[in-house]
Amino acid sequence: MLIFFILGIPLLLALACLFVKGERILGILNAIGYLIILFLSAILLKQIALSGAIRSFFGFICLDTLSVFFIFVIAVVVFASALYSIGYIKNDIEKGIISEKKARIYYLLFNLFSCSMFFVPAVNNLGMLWVAIEMTTLISAFLVGFYNRKESVEAAWKYIIICSVGIVFALLGTILFSYAFSISGLSKSLNWSDMVPVAHILDKNILKIAFIFILVGYGTKAGLAPMHTWLPDAHSQAVAPISALLSGVLLKTAVYAILRFGIIIIKGVGFAYFAHLMILLGVISLIVSSGFILVQKDLKRLLAYSSIEHIGIISIGFGLGTPLACAGALMHVFNHAVTKSFMFFGAGNIVSIYRKHNMNAIRGVIRVLPFTGMMMFLGVFALTGFAPFSIFISEMMIIVAAFTKGAYLIAAVLLLFLAVIFGAFINHFGKMLFGNLPKGMIKTGERLSGKLAFLFLGLLICGIGVAFIFIKGEWIWIVQKLFLV
Amino acid sequence: MQFIILFAVLISTYLMIITKRTSALIRSFRYQSFCLFLAAFMTALRERQLDLYVVAGLLFILKVLFIPQLLYRTIKKIKASEELGLFVNPQLSLLWALGFTYLSWVFTVRLIGAQDAAQVIMFTIAFFVVLAGTFLMIFRMTALAQIIGLLVMENGIFLLAFTVSGGMPFFVEIAIFFDVFVSVLIMGFFVYRINKFFTHIDVNKLSRLKG
Repeated sequence: MLIFFILGIPLLLALACLFVKGERILGILNAIGYLIILFLSAILLKQIALSGAIRSFFGFICLDTLSVFFIFVIAVVVFASALYSIGYIKNDIEKGIISEKKARIYYLLFNLFSCSMFFVPAVNNLGMLWVAIEMTTLISAFLVGFYNRKESVEAAWKYIIICSVGIVFALLGTILFSYAFSISGLSKSLNWSDMVPVAHILDKNILKIAFIFILVGYGTKAGLAPMHTWLPDAHSQAVAPISALLSGVLLKTAVYAILRFGIIIIKGVGFAYFAHLMILLGVISLIVSSGFILVQKDLKRLLAYSSIEHIGIISIGFGLGTPLACAGALMHVFNHAVTKSFMFFGAGNIVSIYRKHNMNAIRGVIRVLPFTGMMMFLGVFALTGFAPFSIFISEMMIIVAAFTKGAYLIAAVLLLFLAVIFGAFINHFGKMLFGNLPKGMIKTGERLSGKLAFLFLGLLICGIGVAFIFIKGEWIWIVQKLFLV
Repeated sequence: MQFIILFAVLISTYLMIITKRTSALIRSFRYQSFCLFLAAFMTALRERQLDLYVVAGLLFILKVLFIPQLLYRTIKKIKASEELGLFVNPQLSLLWALGFTYLSWVFTVRLIGAQDAAQVIMFTIAFFVVLAGTFLMIFRMTALAQIIGLLVMENGIFLLAFTVSGGMPFFVEIAIFFDVFVSVLIMGFFVYRINKFFTHIDVNKLSRLKG
């Protein structure tokens, strides 16, 4: 029953945007609504992890631990983003960048966008999964082009076209899956809960081809190289809280879709096929992104390329496929979502003060914005996988799993590129945070809601990652049940 | 009868590939959608299911009447030139199209074997239409041509779904129609925006974001 509240509250909030005047009240209402959703999804996660999958609403909605985990990740990031939006939008209005009316449109789109993302893990039918993911693209295109500048319109156009083409291939893959299902003599159905138990009797040849289409299609949306070209444009031009949503959770919904089909493939064709494709795309993403990170000049594009890198790591983790690696990859989904939103909030604050994306023009952040500067200092270590933070733990799990499995080459590649990216990040951020202050910049105050969003995510980065060590056993058991049936 | 319709789909797709003008492209798209409507309607007559009639009706309203009309209006309003802007000239495009047809035939035979001739033809044409849509998106320069390319790809997938598995489940089909409808509206909106900011709709010249 809880799932209906999780899907319903964003819609109610979207309705509220049509009637409630005053963006400040709207913002606070939003934050409260998403706080409730966060609690509900935490309860749901606990329920399902203990009791197993449930179906409701005539089998239209089907939840197992995997889907509820993704719902929880989405809830965390959406709540933080709603909190951060209050101050950010207020700031934009005061500076005259957007009007009051446009702020209401922003909240309307924000709610519709998050609602469509909650739908992705909740639905059972693979066709509806496709529709939900396409909906996320269509709604967020407006948020990418929100500022109505030449660059943002260009980014929105590329985003909508590249993702739509990608996702058409995913639909082709979905239809081939349904074809494989229908020629095996079973009754027509597109529900994954019906497909998984019979996957081993489906035609292997067709499943293999279908999965390639799925991987190209949803991989485009997930930002796996070489289909990633839309990602840096869209992430750098979107409104800052939306960049956090795009990078933190939108990419993860596509990863979820790949995993759903992946589970059917693992049962139907065998693990090696799935593993090779995932590792191949993961390594390509890692290589491509590290190159662009080294030479990057634009702050938000830097973070966007880092998202490609982390999606690559997640994909390698699932490709390795031992319980430890899968557990690490799932943890990484959560950790990356939290840490990357944290960094995008910081980048949003910096860009709105300096009014530039170019990192060469951003110097001395820690003196202009002491709080944000401090947080970014921690965040850059957290993001590149430094020791006490959560990303370190999940990356470590994947690397250890690679070594114990005997995949030394993969482990070596991972370590090499992580080191390169670490160096590049420290170089870029060291200059930005501590360099000489440009003329005319003075110390500026920051808004409470923004600080709260930072603290909330910061707590998760430091807390959950560490607490996870203590529940590793249960976690690995759950993952084993999910993937290695 | 079914083969005549499929053949008409093939012809209309070839027309789209070799045309140089936007309005001709939209007209051929309309023909193609009409053929799909006929195919869907005949399946509905044969199977006598209400769902299939609804799907065929929606297809007619959306892809034969509404979307081409919307696209015609867009060209008129933004006063864009008729030229599609070809990267590949019509003769060479025709060669590409022939290659695609052969490729999709090879692919089909690999995928399902060559026993059932009727099914092989259906698969081949469906895959060909998808490939042709991709070709239009990549090798034509205007934003409108990209929208049509996407629609052509979707037509191909509709054909595939309809011929091989008697369509998707009903509510999925409706949801996909809704999705196509919304995406065309939104893309149309962005075409206006691009025209307003850049005073052209040549996507090849959108190159402010790099690196």
